[in-house]
Amino acid sequence: MNTEERQLAEMLHRITPEPPRRVTVEDIAYRVASEGNGRGRVPRQRRGSSFASGAFGGRRWAPALAALGVIVIAGGTAAVASVATSHSSHSPSANGTPTSSASVSSSASSPSPSGTVSSVPPGAKLTVAGGMWGAQLIDRQSFDQESLTSSGGSLFAFGNGTLNRIDPATGIVTCSTPYNAPVPGRPVVVGNTVWVVWSYGSGDIFLHGYDESTLDQVASVEVPAIGGTVSSAQGVLAAAPDGKLYVAAGREIAIVDPASRQVTRQIFLTAGQANSVAVAPDGKLLYIGISSADSFRLLIYDAGTGRLLNISAMQGGEGGNLIATSGGVWGTAGTGMSEWVWFAPGGDLTRSSRVTQGAGAGLASLPSVSGGAVWIGGSHELICASPATGKALARTTIPTDHGVVEYFGSVTVLDTGHAYALYSDEHAQLTGVAQLTPPAACSGSSGSSGS
Amino acid sequence: MDGRPSEPDGFRDFVEARSGTLLRSGWLLTGDWASAEDLVQTALAAAWPRWGTLTRQDAPELYVRKIMVNTFLRWRQRRWTGEIATARLPELQAYGDAFAQIDARQALLGALDRLPPRQRAVVVLRYFADQTEAQTAEAMGCSVGAVKAHASKALARLRETPGLAELMTGGVAS
Repeated sequence: MNTEERQLAEMLHRITPEPPRRVTVEDIAYRVASEGNGRGRVPRQRRGSSFASGAFGGRRWAPALAALGVIVIAGGTAAVASVATSHSSHSPSANGTPTSSASVSSSASSPSPSGTVSSVPPGAKLTVAGGMWGAQLIDRQSFDQESLTSSGGSLFAFGNGTLNRIDPATGIVTCSTPYNAPVPGRPVVVGNTVWVVWSYGSGDIFLHGYDESTLDQVASVEVPAIGGTVSSAQGVLAAAPDGKLYVAAGREIAIVDPASRQVTRQIFLTAGQANSVAVAPDGKLLYIGISSADSFRLLIYDAGTGRLLNISAMQGGEGGNLIATSGGVWGTAGTGMSEWVWFAPGGDLTRSSRVTQGAGAGLASLPSVSGGAVWIGGSHELICASPATGKALARTTIPTDHGVVEYFGSVTVLDTGHAYALYSDEHAQLTGVAQLTPPAACSGSSGSSGS
Repeated sequence: MDGRPSEPDGFRDFVEARSGTLLRSGWLLTGDWASAEDLVQTALAAAWPRWGTLTRQDAPELYVRKIMVNTFLRWRQRRWTGEIATARLPELQAYGDAFAQIDARQALLGALDRLPPRQRAVVVLRYFADQTEAQTAEAMGCSVGAVKAHASKALARLRETPGLAELMTGGVAS
């Protein structure tokens, strides 16, 4: 270390205060026990917390903190407290609109003498969000929002240090492996392998592949990041119809052959560093997002020749999370409360339109494509849209539970036709994977899906 | 049988010995104690089920810090934290009283808030947690070169932060 570094180190040690209290083993034991085999997250009630919620202690999903003059936003991984609930479930109406607000609420069941709360019997499905779209919680796990994806008959999601395979019938995590996502983005399943971005550094990127059935690691691929990666990266891994993986790797898009586990081709970018990538459903076009402080550019490349075909831009800061469908490209713009989802017909941002506002409250509202439709969740509406036209096929207001946020996101559709989403109810401190029965209009869309 | 998971050998000693330092790192990363506590709890809960392996590898703290940093980076990438960056830092007053300490902490957090998350993480790992460049790179999942680049940029930005130079060269006694 040089003198300046030593001075910085000395200052940090000198000024950083001692914590008001220590974390105890009991805190961790409570959390581990509540999460079940170490999955999900349940922060133990903070002693002395001034914003405890009833008997259930401090909440991560706590807009009530606004009362303190501070807007505190929920976590990327939601806190979970399994509570005994007396829930009045309602059948959704024909168009999927809930007939009443969700009414998940704490029942007369009081916390156990040990101070922990009672839990909903495992395996039981719980109707949530007023039964909109037939929503039933199949488990009480907590995963990173927008991390849910599916393949064949399984669900995959990550959170709290693990990548998990989830049985959609029971909600049980059937296997898991250590994993911490370095950048936002869903796992990508190609063949029998679940691919994730393992590390996303400035100099190199590693992809890891896991066996779909066992989650045993079967592959590791190093991808050079030319010119360094960007901190705004979100949605940097996509799969083409031929199974090739496309990775936004700084000033290049690296194309990885999952079979040989090698980077087989690189498309070098002259316009900047990519923060997101998507591949058209027919595999012919490549869409690349480049984000800067005040604008977002979408580049279209010919995937076959690597030739740049078009650049369009929109004002408004960070963007990314691209997905491509037959009719165009979807993505996000902005950050935080101002984040919103757009659809650009033909990948032309000058013709883009806003599909929905952002989720707010620190929650993601990202588009996903599955089962022939585009899905956009959040805390305001749950939408399915046509991948060909970008038009909403059905949109249903997500009820607020006692005036606080309920959330659906990361919708994915299994081969069985059942749809699943990550769900969170701030009021009831309830999170998990919800099974959905979307309105019939959602399955009537034309056009193929994309990456 | 109280339903409590069995405590791994040595886990309690580690928590008692290191949670204070880990919390202080968490405070530097997140800027508040509640988030710091959540960060540390998250990391320790993740370490719990694989504690035996971690201790055999003699790397429990490295692993815990890795989880903390990755969780922090994910929070910053995926959620809006509600923090409003301020263009102006609090005036740094003559030190020597309790208020000066609070001012210094606010100035420090304000300066850290102005760093991109990865630069902030490098500052905390390298200069507070006293991790080597290699350990920092391992925790952040990047190369040593990237750590050096982040550190250099962070120092440059901190250098330009009004009032921080005084804190680094003189400052207030704790």
